[in-house]
Amino acid sequence: MIKLNNIVKHFGEQVVLSDVTFEVKEREIFGLLGPSGAGKTTIINILTHQLEADSGIHEIGATSFETGLMLDEDGLYVRLNCIENLNIFADIYGIPRKKTLETLKSVGLENAAKKSVGKLSRGMRQRLALARAILHEPKVLFLDEPSSGLDPETARGIHKLIFNLRDKGATVFLTTHNMEEAVKLCNCVALLHKGVIIEQGAPGEICERHNAVKTVPDLESVFIKLTGAELV
Amino acid sequence: MRNVKAIFIKQAKDMIKNPMVLIQFIIYPVVALVMTELVVKSSEYIPANMFITMMAGIFVGMALVTSTAAVIAEDMERKSLRFLIMAGVKPHEYLAGIGGFLLCAGAVVSVVFGLIGNFTGMEFAKFLTVMIMTIAASIMLGATIGILAKNQQAATAISMPVAMIFGFAPMIASFNRTVEKVADILYTQQLNVIVNDFSANFAKAILVIVVNMTVLLIFFVIAYKKKGLKSG
Repeated sequence: MIKLNNIVKHFGEQVVLSDVTFEVKEREIFGLLGPSGAGKTTIINILTHQLEADSGIHEIGATSFETGLMLDEDGLYVRLNCIENLNIFADIYGIPRKKTLETLKSVGLENAAKKSVGKLSRGMRQRLALARAILHEPKVLFLDEPSSGLDPETARGIHKLIFNLRDKGATVFLTTHNMEEAVKLCNCVALLHKGVIIEQGAPGEICERHNAVKTVPDLESVFIKLTGAELV
Repeated sequence: MRNVKAIFIKQAKDMIKNPMVLIQFIIYPVVALVMTELVVKSSEYIPANMFITMMAGIFVGMALVTSTAAVIAEDMERKSLRFLIMAGVKPHEYLAGIGGFLLCAGAVVSVVFGLIGNFTGMEFAKFLTVMIMTIAASIMLGATIGILAKNQQAATAISMPVAMIFGFAPMIASFNRTVEKVADILYTQQLNVIVNDFSANFAKAILVIVVNMTVLLIFFVIAYKKKGLKSG
C-alpha cells in the first residue's frame, strides 16, 4: 500500500533522511518509531506530497482524496464548533452532513458537537482531528503522534479507534516515540534514528532478535541498545 | 465549485464568530449613520455625503485590506489551509471562496452605505459599481499581504500602514492639494471623488480603478507564484 525506496532529504546542509526504505502492507498498522527530530514527520510530509524528497521513490496505493491525515498541529477552526469543523470537510468531500454526527459519535464527541473548538481540551481536539481524518473513510490514514500528550484513558480511546479503522479495511501509518504504544498497536514497525532506518519488522520479532523480550516485547531497550540514545 | 462553496460557507460562519473582523464590517456604516443623522442633518454647511464618503473610503481602504490579509494569514499560520489542500481544495478555489465571501459581505455593507446616503437610481448604481470594484481591489491587496506575511501578526503589522495609506489618503487629500494630486492615482480617491459628486467624471474614475486593479492583480500573481500557499 505504501512503498519508500532510498528516500533522501536534506534541509540545507543537514541530512534529515538517508536512504529510507520500507514498505507498508494493506490493512496493516505500521509504526514509524523514533525520538523527536528523527525525521518521522518529514516522512509523512513527503508521503502526503507536502514536501519533496531530494531523491528516491515513494508511492501510495491511494489518491489524496482517499487519504486521511492527522498532524500534531491540528489546523482546526477554533471559533467554529465541532460539527461546523467537520461540515466544511463533508461539503468538500461531497458526503452527507449526517455523516459528521456519526463520525463525532465514533470518537466520543457527540456531546461536544456544538462546543467551540477553542473551548475543547487537548484530548478532545485530538479526537476531533481524528474525526476529520476519518470522515471520508480513507483507505490510508496518516497519524502523526496520535496520542502524544494525552491522558491514558483518552489514549486508550484513540487506540481503540485505530483498531476499528484497521478492521474496517484502512491501512494506518502512525508515528510515535512511545514504544509501548507501538508494541500494542502495530503489526510492523520501523525504528528511525537521525534519518536512518536502523531496524524494521514485527515488534515481537525485533525484540527477539535483540533479546529484549521480558514479559512483553521491550522495543525501547532495542532502540537504546542500537543507538545509545534515549527516547525523548 | 463545490470546494469554493464550502470555503465560502466556512468563511461566513467564521466571520460571524470573529469579532475582530466582524466589527470592521459594522462600525463604519454605523459611524456614517450616526454622524449623518447627528451632524450633517443639523448643519447646512456640511456636505450631505461627507461621512458616507469618509467612512466608505476607510471601510474599503482599511477594513477589507486588513480583514483579507488576516484571514489568509491565520489559515496559513494555524495550518488549517494545509488540511483543506490535502482534502483536494485547490489554492485558487480557496482564494475564490475567501475573496468571494468578503466581496459579498462588502457589497452588503455598500448597500447599507447607499441607504444611509439616500442614494437612488443612477447615483445608487454608480455608488455600488465603484464600491464593488474598489472592494475587489482591496481584497487583492489584502490577499497579497496575507500570502507574503509569515504569520497573522506580521500580516496585521504590514496591512495596517498600507491600509492607512489607501484608507486615509482621500481624507488628507481634501485638505492638501499636493496630496490630492498624488492620491488621484489611488482607487480609494476615485471612490471619494464619485461619492462626493456623482456628476464627476465617472469614466475617468473607472479607468483609474481598473488600472489599480490590474496593478494589484499583477502584484498578487507575483506573490502567489513566489510563495503560493505552501506555508499552510
